[in-house]
Amino acid sequence: MIRVDHLTKYYGEYPAVRDVSFEVPKGRVVGFLGPNGAGKSTTMRILAGFLTASSGQATIAGKDVFSDPIAVRRQIGYMPENCPLYPELRVDEYLKFRAGLKGLGWSARRKRIDYVLERCWLSDVRRQLVGTLSKGYRQRVGLADALLADPPVLILDEPTAGLDPTQIRETRKLIRELGREHTMLLSTHILTEVEMACDSVIIIYQGKVAEDGTLAEVRRKHKNQSLEEIFVRLTGQEGI
Amino acid sequence: MRALFSLIRREFLAYFLSPIAYVALFVFLFVNGVLFNFTLSALTESGPRGVEYPMRAWLGSEVFWLVFLFVPPLLTMRLFAEERGTGTLELLLTAPIRDWQVVAGKFFACFLFYVVLWLPTLAYLPILVDLDWQTGQPRIDPWPVVTSYLGVLLAGGMFLAIGLFISSLVKSQIVAAMIALLVSLIFVAAGFWPGGFDTGTGFGSLLYLVTVPEQFRHDFTRGLIDTRPLVLYVSVTIFCLFLTVRSLEARRLGA
Repeated sequence: MIRVDHLTKYYGEYPAVRDVSFEVPKGRVVGFLGPNGAGKSTTMRILAGFLTASSGQATIAGKDVFSDPIAVRRQIGYMPENCPLYPELRVDEYLKFRAGLKGLGWSARRKRIDYVLERCWLSDVRRQLVGTLSKGYRQRVGLADALLADPPVLILDEPTAGLDPTQIRETRKLIRELGREHTMLLSTHILTEVEMACDSVIIIYQGKVAEDGTLAEVRRKHKNQSLEEIFVRLTGQEGI
Repeated sequence: MRALFSLIRREFLAYFLSPIAYVALFVFLFVNGVLFNFTLSALTESGPRGVEYPMRAWLGSEVFWLVFLFVPPLLTMRLFAEERGTGTLELLLTAPIRDWQVVAGKFFACFLFYVVLWLPTLAYLPILVDLDWQTGQPRIDPWPVVTSYLGVLLAGGMFLAIGLFISSLVKSQIVAAMIALLVSLIFVAAGFWPGGFDTGTGFGSLLYLVTVPEQFRHDFTRGLIDTRPLVLYVSVTIFCLFLTVRSLEARRLGA
């Protein structure tokens, strides 16, 4: 469903992503791991069409991210890091705007908004200003936005960052549920999250893929160590 | 098309969700009210003094243009700078909408608000053309009104497009407003050049080409349509919108 081929991205002289290749089959929930600054967000931004790669190719549902951006963006629900929103709008106004932007018709718009509000436990704040929401609720609004057009692919950049334990648990549950219907690529720092919610894992370090496989495969390859130990070893911080 | 419409709607309504709209409306109407008052006293002056073209006393004055300068940057500063600052630009640019549609939507929305800004001034018109309420006929030539409004709409579009482009370059709204103001100033302050519009010299006619207040004093407010200013307004507008689209594309290439 998602196919990345020798993707490279330079910021000026600095290579943020170097020759990254991986594939996410349809229906799979993939955890995208790596230390800060490893190139996770950059890769996701390229997939979502916010950035253009310096070289290499990425396709989603067989469509090229670079040459057919609009068609690709229709296939994706994307939630950026830190989940930026318009603070001056109410939750339902915001979703109405986003639904229009995604080309939903009037009747479909109302139906989908009701559905995502329900799905992301937002019904009780639908008339609240986005700016007054707590971090957990904002995150859910971002997720609701990603789900609006019912895209086959979800790309979520750190969906649980900055949440309290209860919210993390709720979000994780939601992700697990969504994983049944959507192909999903989600980045995170929390390794237990990957173990609980994901089918397979891609570990990226210094702009390169360090490990790629299903959880069981990766564990077997590293002699049944915990994911945390594998992560620390691969990202070169063994001595610490 | 749906996406474009949705964007225009949100951008236009966003003005009314912040104090900007009300501040801009107030300042603009206040200054126009004062200038209208001056025009009115000139119109009703007894004796040989008075005005030949009431529109000229209003829109041809330096006071109007010096205050007007502040209005377009106020309207355009937030369009891209705010979204870049808060990061919502990422959401907008990953939605299934083309870059030129984003630019067109934002430009159209601020232009629409600019038109709203002018709407209350229509109330002055019966007096500025000295309308005869019995016959409904104007007793002063009404064409200067038509050409003046055509002029302010197109010139306003130019200033808005400049502001929109500059807003796409920076992250801070204040910086966007200040730079836009500075660039717009070129089109107004050129008129303060000493020895200005000596029509005999090539420099004088060159200066005329870029000085918006002079174009209004000389042509639009007297009912004349000179194609040279119109070409200036439309071409600068289109050029700035084109640059804005390019600036968004450059953002994607990332540096």
